[in-house]
Amino acid sequence: MTRIFHARIGAVTTAFFLTAVTLPAVSQAALELVIGARQVVKNEPVSTCNTKARTALNSVFLNAGEVGSGDTGEWKAFGAVDSEGHSFSAGAIHCYPLDDSYLVTFTCAAQSPPSPDTATALCTKLEAAFNGGKAEAGTMKRESP
Amino acid sequence: MITATRIRRTVFAGSVVVTLLLCTRSFAPAAVELSTGIRHVSDTGGLDDCSAKAKAALDAYLTNATESSSGEWLATAQNPQAQTVTAAATVRCYALPKGYVVTFTCAVQIPENPYGADALCLNIAHKFYGGALSSLAAMPTPTPVPTGCSPANLVGTWVSDDKPGLTLTADLNGGFTDNDGVSGNWGLRGMTVTLTYYGEHTLTLSADGKHMRGGGYNFTRKC
Repeated sequence: MTRIFHARIGAVTTAFFLTAVTLPAVSQAALELVIGARQVVKNEPVSTCNTKARTALNSVFLNAGEVGSGDTGEWKAFGAVDSEGHSFSAGAIHCYPLDDSYLVTFTCAAQSPPSPDTATALCTKLEAAFNGGKAEAGTMKRESP
Repeated sequence: MITATRIRRTVFAGSVVVTLLLCTRSFAPAAVELSTGIRHVSDTGGLDDCSAKAKAALDAYLTNATESSSGEWLATAQNPQAQTVTAAATVRCYALPKGYVVTFTCAVQIPENPYGADALCLNIAHKFYGGALSSLAAMPTPTPVPTGCSPANLVGTWVSDDKPGLTLTADLNGGFTDNDGVSGNWGLRGMTVTLTYYGEHTLTLSADGKHMRGGGYNFTRKC
């Protein structure tokens, strides 16, 4: 029994070293930055955009915060951090007031791997979260892309 | 009741888990840095004006600025040593009844990128609408691929002396690929070569770096 046990440990150790030595350089993690949607939302104040931006960012990322001081309308948040405090994804929402409406844009970044989501997928989630789970709300005009 | 067999199985399972965890160590411990918050409103000019400036500002620091949709620009930069994109920026223009509004967002992968996202965005923005420019650290130059038959590495193409058709093409990073596309790894300590290729083989490199023999293999390097 002891010999079998030692054989198993030896097999695992050997497997580890072979894997460690032969693993190709799969750490070619690439940075991806995507231009998400741009929308003009009619008949809503920019304060609504700010509220939705914070909520949407917090639903996809963590600790959404408004950049700068005062009402800048520029929001960003980062993805979950690893044990060393590194984050591998981030998103930004810009709100800008227009006459009777506001302009909102979505931008996302990801390093995949290790981020499980691509930047494109994150921005799709972010846009859906901003629109209350729908890709497009009734009053919204999705301009691009 | 805890039996010896159960303990052994637990230890075995634990070993497998640890092994798998260790195997994932090759994911780079890098981080994404995002810079946003620079917005510029111009009372004059239109979308075309904004787009022209956006492209020029992006091209000043990054490469291949492209318009993904009307007035929305994206560019990236690659770290030649990491062989991957490590910096990117967007400049998004939106036409107003009078003039336009433009936002700047940048992302970099740290530590592979030699400068931060804030510095990149500030320079792009200042290039766009004027302002002090700072110098960004240059991307590292790619490591030159050694040529010839250096005894300090195995880089190059090796032809088997006794196995017809077998060739190994070794790269600078300790990897190689054979003529069938099967990959392996090489190591060199002194004149002792370790090839991980259908098992591990120990060979000896000749003083002129042109031959390696042992472990059932005989290769001659093309140089």
